[in-house]
Amino acid sequence: MDRKKRLGMGFGIFMAGMLVMTFVSRVIYVSQMPRVKWSYFSAASIQNTFLSEGTLEAVNAQAVTGMEGLLVKKVCVAAGERIEAGTVLYEVDLEDLEMQLSLLEAEERVWQAQVQTEKKEAATEAARAAEDYESAAAELERKIAEEMILLEQAQEDMDTHMFRIPQEDAPDEVWIAWADERTRIDREIKERQRAIEETGQEKEKVLREAARSMEDARNVQNQVEGAYSAGFSSIGQVQEREHKIAVWKELAERGGRVAAEQEGCVLEVMIQAGTRMGEGAVMRYADAQGSLVFRTVIPQENKSMVHTGDRVHLSFPGSPEEADEEIDSIIQENGGYTVTVWLEAGVAQGRTEGVMEVVSTSEIYDFVVPKRALHYDGDMYYIYVLEEKNGILGTELCVRRLPVRLLDGNEDKAAVTDDLLESGMKVVVESDRELGNGMAVIIQ
Amino acid sequence: MAAEGCVTEKRIKRLEKRKTEKVKRRVVKWAAGGVCFLAAALVCLPLFLIPAGAVMDDMELRQMLSPVMDGSGGYAKWHLIPLYPTMEHYYRLLVGSPEFYRLFWNTVGMTAAVLAGQLLVGLPSAWAFAVFRFRGRGVLFGLYVVLMLLPFQVMLLPQYLVLQKMGLYGKTASVILPAVFSAFPVFLMYRGFTQIERDVLEAARLDGAGEMQVFLFVGMPLGRTGIQAAMVLGFLEYWNLVEQPMAFLEEQKDWPLSLYLPRLTVEQAGFAFAASVVVLVPALFVFALGQDALEKGITYSVSMVPWDGEKG
Repeated sequence: MDRKKRLGMGFGIFMAGMLVMTFVSRVIYVSQMPRVKWSYFSAASIQNTFLSEGTLEAVNAQAVTGMEGLLVKKVCVAAGERIEAGTVLYEVDLEDLEMQLSLLEAEERVWQAQVQTEKKEAATEAARAAEDYESAAAELERKIAEEMILLEQAQEDMDTHMFRIPQEDAPDEVWIAWADERTRIDREIKERQRAIEETGQEKEKVLREAARSMEDARNVQNQVEGAYSAGFSSIGQVQEREHKIAVWKELAERGGRVAAEQEGCVLEVMIQAGTRMGEGAVMRYADAQGSLVFRTVIPQENKSMVHTGDRVHLSFPGSPEEADEEIDSIIQENGGYTVTVWLEAGVAQGRTEGVMEVVSTSEIYDFVVPKRALHYDGDMYYIYVLEEKNGILGTELCVRRLPVRLLDGNEDKAAVTDDLLESGMKVVVESDRELGNGMAVIIQ
Repeated sequence: MAAEGCVTEKRIKRLEKRKTEKVKRRVVKWAAGGVCFLAAALVCLPLFLIPAGAVMDDMELRQMLSPVMDGSGGYAKWHLIPLYPTMEHYYRLLVGSPEFYRLFWNTVGMTAAVLAGQLLVGLPSAWAFAVFRFRGRGVLFGLYVVLMLLPFQVMLLPQYLVLQKMGLYGKTASVILPAVFSAFPVFLMYRGFTQIERDVLEAARLDGAGEMQVFLFVGMPLGRTGIQAAMVLGFLEYWNLVEQPMAFLEEQKDWPLSLYLPRLTVEQAGFAFAASVVVLVPALFVFALGQDALEKGITYSVSMVPWDGEKG
């Protein structure tokens, strides 16, 4: 093979290699291009739906008051359970009940004995006070009577003395002696009068004190009788204990079973078997014919989606029942908003929880894209639009990154705006790999 | 004896003089050779730089070219043997750059179209000038020569206006068509055809060959050297065409490779070197294939052949 043939063959091989590599590089280039789907902007409104879990409360719920201190043996109903009048709600431990009852009765007996003793003491004290009062009154009466006698006597002495007035010509000594006598008698009358007055005042004072002592004694007596002094702060507690004893006795007679007074639905059970009941209600149940109120707390960001009077859809977990009701009130509380919805009578009976579904429809936006077409880089939102670009490889479809402002959105759609947006733009809604500005792409 | 001694001394002096002259000539020869070698090495230096740069990694390239790239002054350095050789640039070029191939095949297509067009148009023209005698032939050939001498910058505006009028501006044809009607290959082929003896052509005619047969079966084989020379020179010219595509082509997809390479930035120096090597390969092949014809063609073009085609 001569030189030229070898060169020609080498040139041919080179060109063939270039041809093959052209296809290879093209295949690699195309295989690395993102496959995208696109759509036009649509003019649409955005429907926002959010769910909020809440509680159901009976408007006329009935509380079952617990028997404080008693041991619960068994809880016979659960929340949401329908009950009839007479349905046993819970049972108390009978042995514990009897023991508690005996303790209470013993306490009552001790108290009764104590009361009797104190009553006696109070009666004695009252009798003594009355006696003191009477003796003091008699003594002072006697003293006043004596003073009255002395006063009358002094007045008679004065009258007598006035008849013994000396003659006009009698010596001065006689006149002086008569005048001195009259002054003495006059002073004595005044002393008696003052003594009577003081004794009267003393009598009033003594009698008042005696009467007070008597009253105190009487009060003590009344207190004793009213159990004030038996270690209780009020008669109510005595009555409460007596009532408790009566109720417990009745409960013991019923075998320790507590039954519902009317039919309804158990809303809440606050006791457990094996624990002692505390103060207050241990169970609540709703009247069978009563209405329920749904309450839920929504966060600040969802407030704009709900308004008083809006219709909301309510569903109840575990129940096929659903309801459409209006929002009755929205109250700001603790950083959130409490939404209250009154349900119609008979709706969601037996349910304690519900889910509120709110659907709000916005105005119509000009540029709405599927949510997956919207990207966020931590600083701003942007979309990719398709554009034809003339380059070395000819006319290719490329993506251009366009910053946008997010106006509204839900899980599926987003309404955006920007001065550069046009309705005819092709928006990339899906890509099989991450896009970059100016990247060439292929339509799926 | 004295006379003999005198003659011998003269001879010795002559011999010494000859020897000295011989040494001088040798020194001059070596010096001239050295100077030529240095000049040749200087000229060929880029040829050594390109393959070395094509296998140099980016870090090393950056270090070498940083004075040029940063504009910080100083001179670029170069390692003829890279410290960290890599084929990454070739890989990127040959596997990861479909743009390169697009432009490569653009260039191939453009060059092939031009050469084919020149064969189609220029070959009959050259044959006609070389063989036929007709009125105004001298003037027409003179026009061809003048056209050949005009630089592209002079022809740019007229060509632009014509192409615009014809609706070809911006299309690949705007580069191909003016090249097809180039006068230089006609001149070269004409020179090739004038080397054919007129008696040979007459003999063919006497044997009953028509003018077309004479052209195809006698003229073309005998004028092959001129045709090949025109094709090789045409290939080398249009393979590296820059000004015409830059002036007449708007879309990048129509560009030849010669416009792509200058677009590569200094940061892509390695890639550019690799591309240069690959671009060089077809030109080398064509040159090697047509070297003999090229040399003869050039010899014809400068030979003392009268313009009327009669061998002197």
